[in-house]
Amino acid sequence: MDLTLSAEHEAFRAEVRAWLRDNVPSPPLPPPGTPESFAQHVAWERRLSEAGYSAIHWPVEYGGKGADVLMHAIFEEEYLLAGGPERVTVVGTNLMGPTLMVHGTDEQKQRWLPGILDASVIWSQGFSEPDAGSDLASLRTKAERDGDHFVVNGQKIWTSYGPYADWIFALVRTNPDVKKHAGITFLAFPMDTPGVEVRPITQLDGHAGFAEVFLTDVRVPVENVVGEVDDGWAVTMTTLAVERDSPAAAPARYHRDLTELVRVARRRRLDDDPVVLDRLADLFVTTRVYDAHATRTLSTLYNGGSLGAEASVTKVLWSELERDLFEEGLELLGPHGEVLDDAAPLSAWEDWHSKYWYARAATIYAGTSEVQRNILAQRVLGLPRG
Amino acid sequence: MDFEFSEEQLALRDVCRDLFAKQSSPERLRAIWDGGERGTDLWRSLAEMGVLGLTVPEDHGGMGGNLVDLLLVLEEAGYHAVPDPLLETVVVAAPALRWAEEGEWLERIAAGEAVISARLGGSPYVVDADIADAVLIEHEDGLGLVTEFDATLVPTEDRARRLFAIEVTGDVQPVGASARRAWERGALGAAALLNGIGRRLLDLSVEYAQARQQFDRPIGSFQAVSHKLATLFIQNTAAHSATRYAAYAEARDTADRPVAISTAKAYASDAAALANTEALQIHAGIGFTWEHDLHFWLKRGRALEQAYGSPRDHRRRLAEHVLALAGDEPPAPTEEQADA
Repeated sequence: MDLTLSAEHEAFRAEVRAWLRDNVPSPPLPPPGTPESFAQHVAWERRLSEAGYSAIHWPVEYGGKGADVLMHAIFEEEYLLAGGPERVTVVGTNLMGPTLMVHGTDEQKQRWLPGILDASVIWSQGFSEPDAGSDLASLRTKAERDGDHFVVNGQKIWTSYGPYADWIFALVRTNPDVKKHAGITFLAFPMDTPGVEVRPITQLDGHAGFAEVFLTDVRVPVENVVGEVDDGWAVTMTTLAVERDSPAAAPARYHRDLTELVRVARRRRLDDDPVVLDRLADLFVTTRVYDAHATRTLSTLYNGGSLGAEASVTKVLWSELERDLFEEGLELLGPHGEVLDDAAPLSAWEDWHSKYWYARAATIYAGTSEVQRNILAQRVLGLPRG
Repeated sequence: MDFEFSEEQLALRDVCRDLFAKQSSPERLRAIWDGGERGTDLWRSLAEMGVLGLTVPEDHGGMGGNLVDLLLVLEEAGYHAVPDPLLETVVVAAPALRWAEEGEWLERIAAGEAVISARLGGSPYVVDADIADAVLIEHEDGLGLVTEFDATLVPTEDRARRLFAIEVTGDVQPVGASARRAWERGALGAAALLNGIGRRLLDLSVEYAQARQQFDRPIGSFQAVSHKLATLFIQNTAAHSATRYAAYAEARDTADRPVAISTAKAYASDAAALANTEALQIHAGIGFTWEHDLHFWLKRGRALEQAYGSPRDHRRRLAEHVLALAGDEPPAPTEEQADA
């Protein structure tokens, strides 16, 4: 047991830190919810790409740095500490790219990977539907074969970056006569294909984060199928497995948020209130526990292991911690908690309110806390399905 | 970067697991609860396997190991509710007794010939004082060792964890080691035992939820039950991660060692407390009986949650570190005074 980083990893950290210090936009970019700010984010992604940082975890043969999981985590941590902009390319770099590397044909890889890497093509994900959320395999958007095309009809929802994305990969039902997990196909197509209609959804925090995507007689060439026809569920499982074995949310995020909480307590003169101190100490404990757990999962991955279903532990830990930190913040703010102005005893009140509401989403996206508990109960503890 | 246990550490865990399963079986625990003698077989076996000398330097007949080497053994000891004073002798006392001038205590501990107990951190009680050859106590600015004392049994909820009040009748031999560090090692060891207890409570509850049928199906198929169990798994896993880091911090004497230990003890205690609550809730009626084994772990858990500092005690210790996160920043001058 030795948590010391190698000289190589330390050197990588120093290199990344220096580059980010010189390049991260200041003042920070506005949230990517308007065409202008989204374009600014894409420009930033191109800068990252030119410096070789857009997808460091990709193998060298695909244009990445072949970074190990530890380098990946170091990069994520430094990026967070440097206050780097939201990454609008993550759907491509973390989901589509790794999926293509496993299931894509050589032609597909050559066609799509470079655009992900240089941020010339922004990808979105078309998985969820109005009636297929946690029960994703019940999806109903259908694709019917017509010569060398599929004709797609249906609706997707909660599509992140939907209003600005260039391409989408979607799960569609190609065979309605088999069990629901069979008969699904993984299909990619441009968002400007005739019949694709995108309607932005305004989030409860006022930001335009995601969209509904309506698909009416959308013609997609068969060569855009990733993996085999009717075998899209297996392709999806790869996508999710890659996600599970990636570095978890950087603990530095929660150390930062907790520090802000302590600042609020001081400014509100609550820092000698024993009730407040006990609550802050409890959050300090949970933050440090998460840090130790994240270190453990990184070590598992770095030393060749896999997390599998146990990744659900990590998801529940960080999402519930995030929620609890911001809920406590709201209570510490007291009367300032509902006020949107700079009288609030916060370092960056606009940012804080936005993060507060986003923290409320943490236990919902990427698998709700309930789905995570089902996974643990069934796959790890061996309890029967309900 | 390597946060893994070595092959040797895992192998030691496995042999201890086998040993505890045989010699600290529920049948043997029940016999002790019913007033039977504990016996010395287990202690002798632990000496032969080198566990009792694990934290004793090699030139004193030990293994020269540290708390990382011992961590998984302690979790197994909790899992099997081992009644012997492993925590006091090997974790709390042995590392401190390097600074004892007389008595060849280290050699005797490693050989299984000396049981050392401890009275630290404001607790008036001493585990297993009747079989202890010496008791480590707070003395002046550090620690002291006493060998002559009268011990009076204090009835306890957990009949396999025997507590005594002692009255010192002889001299106190000063031990030039830190009382606070000895207590902190106790907190770390107790956290490891609690993780084992929590895991046992979880395993017993999962087994019961799979077997127990109501409404024509196993109760473990109801999410009201399965989600409780998943939560216990999450917390038990996280508690282990935190305790593993604390053991590393103790072994390496890192700057954040006291914080790491208090974090582990606070979280492990809270996690074990929830396992305690939910295990009985899931077992329901049968778990509330004297005949069922569940209460061996319910009662050991409740005892250790408080031992070497309750979660609240440890959070109090951490408060200054929490405030230090924001430096000495004064309150904003424009802040209204109405709250004061």
